[in-house]
Amino acid sequence: MSNVTEVLTALADPTRRDLLERLSLRGEATATALAGDLPISRQAVVQHLAVLDRVGLVRGRRHGREHRFIVRTEPLSDTVKWMEKLSLQWDRRLKIIQQIAEASTSSEDIAKESRQRESRENND
Amino acid sequence: MNTDQIEREVVINAPIERVWSALTEPKGVSSWFSNGGDVSIDLRAGGIMTFDQGHHGAFKTVIVSVTPPHEFSFRWASGYPGVLATEENSTLVEFTLRETPAGTVLRVVESGFDALDIPGEFENHSKGWKSVITEMEKYVLATLETPQNNLS
Repeated sequence: MSNVTEVLTALADPTRRDLLERLSLRGEATATALAGDLPISRQAVVQHLAVLDRVGLVRGRRHGREHRFIVRTEPLSDTVKWMEKLSLQWDRRLKIIQQIAEASTSSEDIAKESRQRESRENND
Repeated sequence: MNTDQIEREVVINAPIERVWSALTEPKGVSSWFSNGGDVSIDLRAGGIMTFDQGHHGAFKTVIVSVTPPHEFSFRWASGYPGVLATEENSTLVEFTLRETPAGTVLRVVESGFDALDIPGEFENHSKGWKSVITEMEKYVLATLETPQNNLS
């Protein structure tokens, strides 16, 4: 049996969210195919899929010799989706802060590099 | 997982002071919080930080703490544009900055959802977060108990 806390816990892991997103893009996929999309082993993908399967977020089925998975959205009520949306908004905001902070570093580096190159060229 | 809060973090390859500037200076806040809209900040505990999110409205957040370059927190009434944030209508947004060998770790925690009345598009959930969670639990349990024959 599952409950909301377990659904949220399953979704709290960024790798599992990645995995769900990949799976929903593909529509249907095997663990091997998903492992090809992500920087983790097939074994790790299988374990994450098992967690997602337990809370009802994915479902596997036999397709010939393959075991393919699909995303199930039933456990994602409006409220969970809303909380997920808020999390993604924070990810986006943190990303912007990261870009601003890192850009000012690299633009200084670029300026420094260009100054160094200029002085080297002047010395030639 | 705690349903009262959202926690996210990012590792930034820049000195902590630079992350602090991006986080707290009006130009930075305008980018990360306001989609380029107008921002005014009275950067001190008790000060008001106003940011304009265009058609979503202008939000008046109340700054709770400012400890450069390590801590910045404010209350945000995200469901009530134009209204000053209070304990009742808002969540608490806390940023912490930490220097590590990998870079500056910027962490954000938004908390207070349990006590919050969720307005706007979720106004039918206005009984509060807790009751929503309870209803959701019933919904999910019902879904899980129903055999899913159609996999389309």
